[in-house]
Amino acid sequence: MDVVTVRDVTKTYRLGVGRARVREMLPPPIDGVVSRLLPGWWNRNTFHALEDVSLSVAAGSSLGIVGANGAGKTTLLKVIAGVTEPTRGEIAVRGRVAALIDLLVGFHPDLTGRENIEFFGALHGIGRRTMANRAPGILEFAEIEDLADTPLKRYSAGMGARLGFGVLTALDVDVIVVDEVLTVGDGDFQRRCVQWLQGFRAGGGTLLFVSHNLALVRDMTERVLWMRDGRVADDGPAGKVVAEYMRELESHDPQRLGFGTGPAWRRIRSGGTRRWGIGGASIKGVRFNEHNGNGAPLELTIAYEASLDDQAVFLVGFSDDSGREVGGAASTPRSLNLPRGEIRCEVASLPLRSGTYFPTVAILSSDGRVRDRWKLDRAIVVDRNGEAEAPDTFGPLAIRATWSGR
Amino acid sequence: MIGRLWRRRSLVLTLVRRQYQLRYRQSFIGLAWAFIPPLATLGAATLVFGEVIGVDTGKTPYAIFAFAALVPWAFFANSLIFGVPSIVNADSMVRRLAFPRAALPLSSVGAAVLDLVIAAGIFVILAYWTGLGIPATAVLFPVILLIETVFIVGIVLLGSALNVFARDVRVAVPLVTQVWLLVTPVMYPLDSVPAGLRFWFQLNPMTGVVEMSRRVIVDGRLPDAGLLLGTLFGAVAVLLLGYWYFSATERRFTDVI
Repeated sequence: MDVVTVRDVTKTYRLGVGRARVREMLPPPIDGVVSRLLPGWWNRNTFHALEDVSLSVAAGSSLGIVGANGAGKTTLLKVIAGVTEPTRGEIAVRGRVAALIDLLVGFHPDLTGRENIEFFGALHGIGRRTMANRAPGILEFAEIEDLADTPLKRYSAGMGARLGFGVLTALDVDVIVVDEVLTVGDGDFQRRCVQWLQGFRAGGGTLLFVSHNLALVRDMTERVLWMRDGRVADDGPAGKVVAEYMRELESHDPQRLGFGTGPAWRRIRSGGTRRWGIGGASIKGVRFNEHNGNGAPLELTIAYEASLDDQAVFLVGFSDDSGREVGGAASTPRSLNLPRGEIRCEVASLPLRSGTYFPTVAILSSDGRVRDRWKLDRAIVVDRNGEAEAPDTFGPLAIRATWSGR
Repeated sequence: MIGRLWRRRSLVLTLVRRQYQLRYRQSFIGLAWAFIPPLATLGAATLVFGEVIGVDTGKTPYAIFAFAALVPWAFFANSLIFGVPSIVNADSMVRRLAFPRAALPLSSVGAAVLDLVIAAGIFVILAYWTGLGIPATAVLFPVILLIETVFIVGIVLLGSALNVFARDVRVAVPLVTQVWLLVTPVMYPLDSVPAGLRFWFQLNPMTGVVEMSRRVIVDGRLPDAGLLLGTLFGAVAVLLLGYWYFSATERRFTDVI
């Protein structure tokens, strides 16, 4: 039996430009009349976050959703969870859904842990007394019993995140929708969240799971949906789809590297921080060698153009899928006396654990200012599943150690 | 909208309680702040309109005259000030959670009810302290408040929905309530309004609300039937308008906010 059915769903957004939203403001049936009279104005600045998406999820199964930023993963979850309505198409969900699109939504920093738990319950239609009875279980799961009556603002980020996931364990729902929230807390807590979700599934629950952590997606789900530009690119067994997606992430598609291709909103939606700098020198392109991540050397060639004669430092850095900078390397200062040139950077080995990493290249001026900084779309996928994820390391770096003594 | 809201009625109550939990947290005198605004407004109004300008209120002391209207007026003004921006203020929830959006403006009105109860309590004390007492017609006061609530819910639903699309609404709220206070016979009697203008004043449902409140809780007279029906009609019309606009546009809040 299918718990979630999505049929030909299209979701169209209009881009706001910081002004009042006149088109949305018009109630039906006035909006219909205006859209017929002024179709050009009505359809201006629209984009499809989802286009003709169909899928169904059987009860007790789990579906992973992967795809680049802006591919429509979160929109799909929001439509399924009933947070937003599709522009066209149908959604049918049997049973109760809880969506963790983000942690701590609706939580107030001035309220205590217990008060926030009650409020979260009310948001999901659970009475105050019932939620008060479930509060000890939540606090125990999150291991924050002694913070129950402390305002949330006094919690550390990790403690807050524990509470944010912990409340999910008290909801009596049939479908859980999780959007990239398992990367919080320490490794121990993450493991407990994963275990809890597995227990939820074992009890007949259905899980929809979005993550950039491909190893986790592969472990947690048997089926994976790959979203690309608002459409379903592939839908099939987890191992197969994740492997295909990884191959695309590593592919040398010049369009994906090029700046200025694709609609402008994609840059804005990824935070507007993909590329910036004061100018004077700019990166024209970056080439990679094939890299399989298993400790083999990585070679990058940075083509640049310079419009002034200055000393410059070239940087190559790596961020993980949550945007955190893991580390990088800087060149020695070199002169930009040629109008264009190429710099090669060879990284002998990337001591990274399995995951997806995004390179950033930058040119700094002699006084340390950023002339051009470019966060690339192309991912470096480190996949050590041949040698199995080393259980004796943690964090983003694969730090190998030999222990002795007794 | 009503059905979904009714199934989540505990959410409205929780939101009301949360506003109270939050409003006076980390302050020195806490709940005492609920008593200060009505008393301060009353004091200033009595000084300016009662003593300086000398508004003629007949036998009734000016303080009683003004406060009888300030009680329902403050309910209206508080509801507007907290209710109109309520959806935009909860934007992170609206963007990521599915719940009946009307719970937000309605809970703001609910929180204003508690301030109303406090102000009404102060009025009772003031009435007995000045020796006037409370007339028997005061049993009709809840009916007038009910009509006022109908009007308030309508205007808050409309205002909070419009504010999602055009933030101008929120910016205009303090100005509108200020001007509205001046054109409503709160600080002065409706009789002092020139006859030619009085018709226009009566198109404002708040005129009916404050006039009728004064009649039943101070003068001990029954409300004028024409004014009662007119006010009721206006309030219901505004509620229908607000309800219609809110339910017609509610589904777009998530995408626009």
